[in-house]
Amino acid sequence: MIKKLPILFLLFLLAVSANAQQKNIVGRDIGQLKDIKVSGRIIDQITGEPLVGATITVRELTKTEITTTNGTFNLVLDRAEYTLEIRYVGYETVIYPFVAVGEGRINLTMIQEDFTLDDVVIYGRDPEKNIRSTDMGAISISMNTLRELPPFLGEVDIIRSIATLPGVSQVGEASSGLNVRGGGADQNLIMFAGAPIYNPSHLFGLFTAFNPDVVNDFTLYKAIIPTKYGGRGSSILDITPKSGSLTNWGGDLMVGTVSGKIGFNGPVIKDKVSAKVGFRGSYINWLLRSLNNPDLRTSQANFNDMNGILYGEINDNHNVTYSFYRSYDDFALASDTTISWTNMSHTVSYQGKFSEKLSVNAIGFYTLYDFTIFNQSGINNFDLKSGIIDNGIRLNFTYALGERNRITFGGDTKNLTINPGELIPGVVNGESTILPQLVQSEYARESGLYLQHELELGEKFGFSYGMRYDLYQYFGPRTVREYAPNLPLNSGNVIGERTYEDGELIQTYDGWGPRVSMRYSIDSKTSIKGGYNKMYQFIHLISNTATIAPTDIWKLSDQFLKPQIVDQYSLGIYKNFKGNIFETSVEVYYKDIQNVVEYKDGAKLLLQNNLETEIIPGEGKAYGIEVYAKKNLGRVTGWASYTYSRALRRVITPFEEEIINNGEWFPANFDKPHDLTLIGNYKMASNVSLSATFSYSTGRPVTFPEAKFDFAGNSLAFFRNRNLQRIPDFHRLDLSLNFQLKGNGKFYDGDWTFAVMNVYGRKNPFSIFFADQPASPPQAYRLAILGVPLPTLSYSMKF
Amino acid sequence: MLKRLIYILLIIPISCIDPYKIELPQGEQLFTVDGFITTEPGPHLIKLTRSDTYGSVFEGLIRPVIRARVAIRDSEGNVTFLNELANDGIYATPEGFMARVGVSYSLQIELQNGRSYTSLPERVESVPEIDSLSYRSVKFNTNDRLIDLIGVQVFAHFKDPSDQTNFYYWRNGTSTFVLVANPELHTLSPQHPTNPRGPDPKDCCAICFIDDASKIQRFTLASDETFNGLSQRLPVLFIEDNGLRFKQTYRAEIQQISVSSGAHRFLRLIEQQTNLTGSVFDNPPANIRGNIVSLDNPDEVVLGYFIAGSIAKKQIYIEREKLEFLQTPRIIPDDCLTVNGARINPPSDWNPSGN
Repeated sequence: MIKKLPILFLLFLLAVSANAQQKNIVGRDIGQLKDIKVSGRIIDQITGEPLVGATITVRELTKTEITTTNGTFNLVLDRAEYTLEIRYVGYETVIYPFVAVGEGRINLTMIQEDFTLDDVVIYGRDPEKNIRSTDMGAISISMNTLRELPPFLGEVDIIRSIATLPGVSQVGEASSGLNVRGGGADQNLIMFAGAPIYNPSHLFGLFTAFNPDVVNDFTLYKAIIPTKYGGRGSSILDITPKSGSLTNWGGDLMVGTVSGKIGFNGPVIKDKVSAKVGFRGSYINWLLRSLNNPDLRTSQANFNDMNGILYGEINDNHNVTYSFYRSYDDFALASDTTISWTNMSHTVSYQGKFSEKLSVNAIGFYTLYDFTIFNQSGINNFDLKSGIIDNGIRLNFTYALGERNRITFGGDTKNLTINPGELIPGVVNGESTILPQLVQSEYARESGLYLQHELELGEKFGFSYGMRYDLYQYFGPRTVREYAPNLPLNSGNVIGERTYEDGELIQTYDGWGPRVSMRYSIDSKTSIKGGYNKMYQFIHLISNTATIAPTDIWKLSDQFLKPQIVDQYSLGIYKNFKGNIFETSVEVYYKDIQNVVEYKDGAKLLLQNNLETEIIPGEGKAYGIEVYAKKNLGRVTGWASYTYSRALRRVITPFEEEIINNGEWFPANFDKPHDLTLIGNYKMASNVSLSATFSYSTGRPVTFPEAKFDFAGNSLAFFRNRNLQRIPDFHRLDLSLNFQLKGNGKFYDGDWTFAVMNVYGRKNPFSIFFADQPASPPQAYRLAILGVPLPTLSYSMKF
Repeated sequence: MLKRLIYILLIIPISCIDPYKIELPQGEQLFTVDGFITTEPGPHLIKLTRSDTYGSVFEGLIRPVIRARVAIRDSEGNVTFLNELANDGIYATPEGFMARVGVSYSLQIELQNGRSYTSLPERVESVPEIDSLSYRSVKFNTNDRLIDLIGVQVFAHFKDPSDQTNFYYWRNGTSTFVLVANPELHTLSPQHPTNPRGPDPKDCCAICFIDDASKIQRFTLASDETFNGLSQRLPVLFIEDNGLRFKQTYRAEIQQISVSSGAHRFLRLIEQQTNLTGSVFDNPPANIRGNIVSLDNPDEVVLGYFIAGSIAKKQIYIEREKLEFLQTPRIIPDDCLTVNGARINPPSDWNPSGN
């Protein structure tokens, strides 16, 4: 009998395969009946890149798994026949029937549907996630969805796309900062591969400094932020890079109007280690140099960014990723002043699964932001440098108590060093005519410990609750001014100075940040969710301009500048229609912000050792309603989002000269009550699609002069109360036509995109300002950044 | 800057700045003081006005405040009364009145309606001498691609004293230039009965002297925070070439004035406002607070500043042949004396060779 076993086994196998015909057998049969572990990986059939965030549904069990960073998934099944349904944005859905007989692996490939299907799918990671999860205000978008949007100057742009979502806005057409639910531009933590990035913009915000080709997906948390994130008040933008293919080498190339990019990826060791590199650069300098105008020829506007991702697999359950990122910009006008900035980050991340229940993620990062102004005008030449260095580690454990019952816990710590400004005099004619200046560097450590528990009680209720403890320590060396009590903080009221030693603790802040959300499902397609969130922020963007400019200064909390504390309450109703083809939601929120920074009139911020004398703490509140409807599938896809929101500020101090707007609430610089975005994508033929974006928003606040007065021959405007008037409303339509040309290897083989921004040429004012210029009366002027329709053409191909 | 950036970015100008019509609120009639006294012998002028709606002169006419009693009181107890010469809101100190270094001054005003105002005291600090002046011809791009801004940049050379904090204010004094005309190109009037626009050359005069009168007073500011105790060469004045100024010789007078830190802050806010471009780099509009307060109602907003400072002056002769960039000259086809303010004799101290 024992001798006959193998034969029986063979027969059995034959029988099973004959019976199942197309069915695949997974695993080596050792007679196991329960707890069969099946792992697998989903990769792109053409490029071999792992697909992250694909959903794997076991039809028979209505169980859904999502692939992790390296495209893998794990299932625990009983011995039975199953059908897997694998869905991924922009890819053809794969149906995979199989029989689980023992522990084994499933490797599947998916084909990009791109232009092979008539319909477009823009699901997020999971079509019913919006209904089922307890997440609120978390939006994940994969780069495939993004590619369906009209491009900006030839490329899809992450930050600009996020600004089309409800509750997210930008100050104007050339600004890099985001304002999320009434928060300032500094209240967003932008992370690339886990490392914070301070100024991810090219050319003062005309482009986002993340190359879309190396990004896998990104998630924006704007309401209930998971406890593993902290340190910023309004939102977290977590951008995940894409790792290279483990099976074959490939590349892509794009040529646009002002910039181009190239990328390669492939296996270094087949099935073990992959590499991916991407480089993007502008050729504006080359265009400028070919011009006749001497001023333009000596001007420069250069930017580039590069990425490298090395992914290595120890085994199915353990892997390590290294990610490098660097962006660089320099810009000069007629060559006397060059402004240059660099972001750089290194991240090493380890992902491990120790058992079915416990998985671990550990990240170590180093990030650097440098900003320099070189003045070579020949008069008082100088270099003005500033920079930030962060390094830190993060450790996160996820423990599954049950099918829908999960605990996440961990901790993080990072060291921050800010060099706020250093003026290095240049030498003119053998001598220097200005003095060197150095603003004291700042040192701090930010740490956090957290726990979060997510569970479902039956089909109806889901809960997620957690707590994060934030600890902030501000260290010497530093010399700190002491001011007379009960008087405004200004240079006239200094009574002494105190010097702190290297490493001496100057100030500590800490706080408990509860995060709670719950879901009640009315039926499988409708749910109501509500939540509360508290965040602490210990770093502030000190900026006297309306948007993020590279000249802005980052400042850590000290004994004068207290941390920003944000309390947010949200409530929403979510409903999907027609088998998840339509996704709708209505969310309301209220937010309370403490210790926002406002500025004294005419504040001097650059090279300022005592910023406390130039700023005034204020309070903020924001509230709004966000309505969102999305069509996920069909020849026509897209979304409509409408937001009514207010972002208000108030400054009350005991000192009359510091009170702004009589201590009443006034609109923040980015307060735009009505904000509407319509995005549509129409698949005209199998290889042609047309997309359109229309946006409308109320004009942002502006201060009009209350009177005109004369002084020393100048006609001047008298401004008193801030932000009480508005610039005209903003609206703009962008169109783009994407078509794929099949040239069988000819040069035109690839994707062509023709786009027109601002189709009807509206002169949307970026600002309204008042000036008394020679030869015209004192009057208002309008600056329109995009005053005409702007066409662009780009071409991209894969090889 | 932003506009230039996009211009460079796309080689075609897509952004634009244009005048924009908006409804502005009816302006308040706020009492405004424009006062400046220096260590030069007077008369020094104090102008009292009331603000009005922002806009052109037709929208808001700034009216003088007349028949006020104006006096300057110093820290040594002296009171000097000012006289309004005509009913124009301009009040003058007596001839020979001059501020002295180390003394504080305050301005006191009583209006006809009985309200009184005073300035906070301003202390006069010493100012270093201007060692020399130099100049350079410069050219800038403008928003209009076809037009360049051409002019002369004047530099002041001086040694900043290291033992004190200095706030500097430079402005141009009376500048005079040689007005070159072409009387030989004179033509008859278009309405001439027999020979409209016919040649009618005149014999005189091709060369006149004229004072440069420009409406907007340009100024430059600096504080010695960045250069305390060092020798300086700073650009202090830009004179635009309007096609007439640099046809031969232009004499610029630079006044280097020390001001208080409060006055410096006030002037810096004015400078900030006059340099707005609408771009993301602009500072937001600031409430320009002065140093004048109402004695009757502390909440009343009073605009303007009373500045007291010591002054150092120097002149420089700018010669056409030393300028690299020149604007297309403007031709005056007539006797130069027909130009308002022109005279045939040079100023008594005119000495271009002594440069």
